[in-house]
Amino acid sequence: MIKYFLTGLFTAGLLYSAAAQTTFPRNGVYDERPGVYAFTNATIIVDPQTTLQNATLLIRDGRVEAVGTNVSLPAGAVVADLKGKRIYPALIDIDSDYGMPVMTRTGGPGGGRGGVPQMESNKKGAYYWNQAIQPENDASMIFKANPTQADELRKLGFGAVLTHQHDGIARGTGALVTLADDRENTLVLKPNVTAHYSFSKGSSGQQYPNSMMGVVALIRQAMYDADWYKKGGSKEQANMSLEAFNRNQALPAIFEANDKLGIIRADKIGDEFGVQYVIRSSGDEYQRIDEVKATGASLIVPLNFPQAYDVEDAWDADNVSIAELKHWEMAPMNAGLLAKAAVPFALTTAGLKNKADFWANLRKAIENGLTEEKALAALTTVPAKLIRVDDQLGTLQKGRLANFIITSGNLFSADNVIYENWMRGKQYIVTNKDAADFRGTWNMTIGTQSNLKLNITGKSIEKPEYQILIDTVKITPKVALSGDLISIQVQLDKKKPGTTRLTGYRTGTTIKGDGETPDGKVITWSAERLGTAPASTSATSTTAGPASTTALATVMYPFVGMGNARKPKAETVMIRNATVWTNEKDGILTGADVFVTGGKISKVGKNLPVPADIKVIDGTGKHLTSGIIDEHSHIALMSINEGAQSSSAEVRMADVINPEDINIYRQLAGGVTASQLLHGSANAIGGQSAIVKLKWGEPAEGMLIKGADGFIKFALGENVKQANYPNPGVLTRFPQSRMGVEQVYMDHFTRAKEYAAGWAAYNKLNTKEKASAIAPRRDIELDALAEILANKRFITCHSYVQSEINMLLKVADSLHFKVNTFTHILEGYKLADKMAKHGAGGSSFADWWAYKVEVHDAIPYNAALMHRQGVTVSINSDDAEMARRLNQEAAKTVEYGGMAEEDAWKMVTLNPAKLLHLDSHMGSVKVGKDADLVLWNASPLAIYARPEITMIDGAIYFSLKDEDPKRDAMQAERGRLIQKMLAAKSGGASTTKPTFKRARMWHCEDIEGVLAEGEEEGK
Amino acid sequence: MKKLLIPILALTVLTSYGQNPAPARPQTKTIALMSGTVHVGNGQVIPNGIVLFSNGVITNVVDGTLVKLNLTDVEVIDVSGKHVYPGIISPASTVGLQETGAVRATVDKQEIGILNPNIRSLIAYNTDSEIIPTIRNNGVLITQAMPQGGTVSGSSSVMLADGWNWEDAALVKDDGIWLNWPTYFARNFNFEDFTTEIKKNDKRTQAIDALKSTFADAKAYAALPNPTPSNLKLESMRGLFSGKQNLYVRADYGKDIIEAVTFAKSMGVPRVVIVGGEEANRVTTFLKDNNVPVILSGLHRLPNREDEDVDLPYRMPGILQKAGVLVGLSYADEWWRTRNLPFLAGTAAGFGVTDREEALKMVTSNTAKILGIDKLVGTLEKGKQATLFVSAGDALDMRTNIIEQVFIQGRKVNLDDRHKRLYKTYKDKYEQQK
Repeated sequence: MIKYFLTGLFTAGLLYSAAAQTTFPRNGVYDERPGVYAFTNATIIVDPQTTLQNATLLIRDGRVEAVGTNVSLPAGAVVADLKGKRIYPALIDIDSDYGMPVMTRTGGPGGGRGGVPQMESNKKGAYYWNQAIQPENDASMIFKANPTQADELRKLGFGAVLTHQHDGIARGTGALVTLADDRENTLVLKPNVTAHYSFSKGSSGQQYPNSMMGVVALIRQAMYDADWYKKGGSKEQANMSLEAFNRNQALPAIFEANDKLGIIRADKIGDEFGVQYVIRSSGDEYQRIDEVKATGASLIVPLNFPQAYDVEDAWDADNVSIAELKHWEMAPMNAGLLAKAAVPFALTTAGLKNKADFWANLRKAIENGLTEEKALAALTTVPAKLIRVDDQLGTLQKGRLANFIITSGNLFSADNVIYENWMRGKQYIVTNKDAADFRGTWNMTIGTQSNLKLNITGKSIEKPEYQILIDTVKITPKVALSGDLISIQVQLDKKKPGTTRLTGYRTGTTIKGDGETPDGKVITWSAERLGTAPASTSATSTTAGPASTTALATVMYPFVGMGNARKPKAETVMIRNATVWTNEKDGILTGADVFVTGGKISKVGKNLPVPADIKVIDGTGKHLTSGIIDEHSHIALMSINEGAQSSSAEVRMADVINPEDINIYRQLAGGVTASQLLHGSANAIGGQSAIVKLKWGEPAEGMLIKGADGFIKFALGENVKQANYPNPGVLTRFPQSRMGVEQVYMDHFTRAKEYAAGWAAYNKLNTKEKASAIAPRRDIELDALAEILANKRFITCHSYVQSEINMLLKVADSLHFKVNTFTHILEGYKLADKMAKHGAGGSSFADWWAYKVEVHDAIPYNAALMHRQGVTVSINSDDAEMARRLNQEAAKTVEYGGMAEEDAWKMVTLNPAKLLHLDSHMGSVKVGKDADLVLWNASPLAIYARPEITMIDGAIYFSLKDEDPKRDAMQAERGRLIQKMLAAKSGGASTTKPTFKRARMWHCEDIEGVLAEGEEEGK
Repeated sequence: MKKLLIPILALTVLTSYGQNPAPARPQTKTIALMSGTVHVGNGQVIPNGIVLFSNGVITNVVDGTLVKLNLTDVEVIDVSGKHVYPGIISPASTVGLQETGAVRATVDKQEIGILNPNIRSLIAYNTDSEIIPTIRNNGVLITQAMPQGGTVSGSSSVMLADGWNWEDAALVKDDGIWLNWPTYFARNFNFEDFTTEIKKNDKRTQAIDALKSTFADAKAYAALPNPTPSNLKLESMRGLFSGKQNLYVRADYGKDIIEAVTFAKSMGVPRVVIVGGEEANRVTTFLKDNNVPVILSGLHRLPNREDEDVDLPYRMPGILQKAGVLVGLSYADEWWRTRNLPFLAGTAAGFGVTDREEALKMVTSNTAKILGIDKLVGTLEKGKQATLFVSAGDALDMRTNIIEQVFIQGRKVNLDDRHKRLYKTYKDKYEQQK
């Protein structure tokens, strides 16, 4: 409690005062002024809930002294009458890079791809080993005022921003600064307000991390390191980064996420360490609002709405996906939907390509459901509270900083004008509020022509419209106003070209002046105000279009054209009279029934009684099997390889699951129900697998199989030694030969053994002894390796050539651990006896070969030969396309090596379940097992077979007969959105050419930063 | 049974050499394949058929239940219960042109330069490639060696999967010129998020202008009997204008297909083939009206777009067939995967092509017609070359695609390959352990 109290004091007290710049010498005489201002007769919005009419705001020395309807004006106050005008608290942006230097990445010598890899940090000194971890950066130390940027934000109504250097993964602290033009000493309100984090390594050219899961691992390790440092590690080394990291823990922590999935990922990191991040989102949160809300995080939300696409050409428009079309429609609804879901958020200008779009986009958000009160709160009180400066900023209560704006009317109206922006009692004029109002109808005389009418109209005095009437002839003149001066250019005779130029000045209701006719004759002119002008005749365009149809804008799960309006749920289903491939001792049953309830297979038999009111599927002439399990997959991932170091055991594929990958649905259509999502093969020790069911529409957490054993990818051979890299001359990562690969394992496992022993010794200490000892440093890489040694984590090893397979078997035997599975294992047939003896399984391709040297001896008979030696064999894909016809790949083992059909089928179902330790509840059609079932139109091994129904845990995720209606519905939705987009374009919205992004299809060979075959480098 | 022993014996003998078996001896004796299910390749099936061939040419194909043949001096091979097929043709292939994908030294499939009509693929065709015996073992007996790269890549040749060198393996030399149509959309790979962005290609007008002038020059050149100076590039294009050679155009997007065909016709090229055709379903009427056939890229690919039907690639042959477009299937440059070409036909049959025989045509007679080699191969009909195989069962299904005998121009081919040899060696290893 005391600590908390102190922190509070700290917050309130640390705000630097705006007092005179006493430490600076002056060239001239002192010019400090009393600084007392009173604004009277105004409508004052004190905070989003409180509006005072006819009220007075009194400020002194940059702070609010009084606000109310009954404020007495002290002597010496400068009084401004704001009748008809409003005062709002100035807006706050807490995700700003105002005044920060621009950082660019510098690689090693030769830089960039193909250059010399930068293995170590370029930031020399007593800092963290990784250049992307720079918690020691302090924005207040590098802040430099930038009048152009400041002016841009002031015009929008912002008074203060929280700025930080958007560079790196741990970015250091943010500083609260005002947007005034002054010395930095008076601009910095408070340094070290917040701590900042992101998923981007920014300007760091260091190799590690080069994947999203590596980024997550690095943050986690840095947190553990900081903890260790605090608890005694500082006795072993001085580390300014870790010291800063620990110091920053007391501050609100802001995490920049790249998308909605990033919000969930960031929150998960926070949960591990008891930190609740404030998360800067990207504007797509509405697509997974339940999961975003469940994080409990407050958000900082941008207003960067996508442009309409140019969809006039029907064929070219095919390139725009339904998800993109829908996002265009729904992005403006995001803030409103967040408010409706009671997710707390602040708004930011960050992410806008052009900051001037801020108000137009905010108004669009309001048209699409955001209330004005929420909008104001999201720009004042909420951001102030999130960064714990709400006792200083965000409202106009007494004692707060005098940061406010004066407007012509409702801040959120399209015709509102911001007149003035005051920062700490200093005035910035955005628009002259006392500008002469010329609007009205004037009776005009030009030279000898009298009885002309001059109409000056317009909603605001900022943008008046002009018209001169000569009898009934309407002429639009060009007019310029400057205070009370007016100049007019007009072609008075439509048939006779030539411009008459007039200059004059206004006094009350009279304008007088002179000018020149087209032929150079000097004439006089005058105008007399008759009264209010008739309402403008030009139709004002409203944006009624989008708002009127938003009822049709709904999300789908996942947010992909083929997503579902509702997530599939487990059903009670009887599949009748099918040929059932049980994978059990019953073999293949004909004319059998399978009853599914509660997500499980509850009965298998003939002529089962059919309960009333359940779904019955006729299986006559069809084949029912358990779902295909792909032991080796890289779909549904955002990243594959963390290849910067020879071991990346610390990375977890579960951190980079992309539940929106269309390949999930495509594979359901091929009968796949579960996959091991593997790290790639860039290094000897890869990352931890994610084992998932392909539950299309569920978030990553919902896809992961609960209670599944942990697996990890290892790799041998050409990829590990970087044999096929394009620029071998610059490679420096150990190892570069198969000899070195063995040493990587020996080294890492030896260290892991010592590490585990160290912890075991520490854990044996009693409480007293522990108090005086320093706990070993938690190392998440060695944790994973120690788990392998403790038989708690299992290896799937990418392998091709028999020599290296033999090597890993020997390493494992000598260190007493098991290799669970060799994957690819294309030369497994050469030492299947050794594999069987060790107890290792094999997961292979059916017939791949010839694409590189280490597959020269690959033969399609491999699976059959290994099987016959007693190895548990599965056939896997490693390929998003092949995975959707793994049934055919299994059938190839019948062609090559003459496998029995039942055994062949087990190679894509029961055997991978065994290899993944899932066979107790998956992999066969057996009472009590998960209802992961596929109904095929023919024998599943036939080339002519295709799934008609794919079910996971009793819920139907793919149904062939629903494909046509689904396509029709997609076409209709597409049509509706395109019509809307065409309308938007003809209504003047700017459009962008259709382009479409195809996500990379990953294979385990794909190294980030290295082009795959057939890929061209972008210009 | 006696016949079955022959390949096994041969295999045993050759194991010790570890190399491809020698090309087969020319056919000396008339051979009759008796009582098999004969898939003619034109849609017709003869359940109890006899295929008779002599001197490498089919002399008769008859229904054994209706016709009696004089089989004196004929080697009779009983294939009852088995299936006889015309040799499968793999168009647009790089078999023989590359061996190990990752080893540059073994890859000869493309030349540098933009306009290379004079480059000839058969020059690099390696009859000793270890890939070739493996594809024969799945029934693929003819390939079209296709050059890649540049805008005009060069000329292809149709090759037999048996021969001492490229000269005697060539069935038809320089059957056509290959053109990569400048694409309407260009691909850009983004290193930040590893996506590929596709946008309108603003450089294509120049590329098309260059093509126009080259084709115009070539056409004018072709009208000269003895042009001086002679020009290798223009010389190589003569056949395009006389109708002797195909113009194979790689194009996928609907607009590209229309533009490319229109271009070829306007340049006076009578025979145009679209290769790739991944979005040919958008232009079926155009293709039919212009009588342009399509060689589809490998069906075992993913849809091009997120919202595309999941099975559209598989259904593409059926869509084109039903619209009346002549379709052939290919495995494109997936050289080692070429052995799976029969299974692409199987997939097509499972996803909308009228029936299995119609799907078979897409890897036999349709392809022969498209390549202009249908007088020589593509069906089991009298007068065609005896390039055919016997399978234990349905050759389009991997469970039953067990190739027992192969004849190329009547020559009985040794079916040994690298994979069988290694299989045998390691079976022996485990036998020894017993």
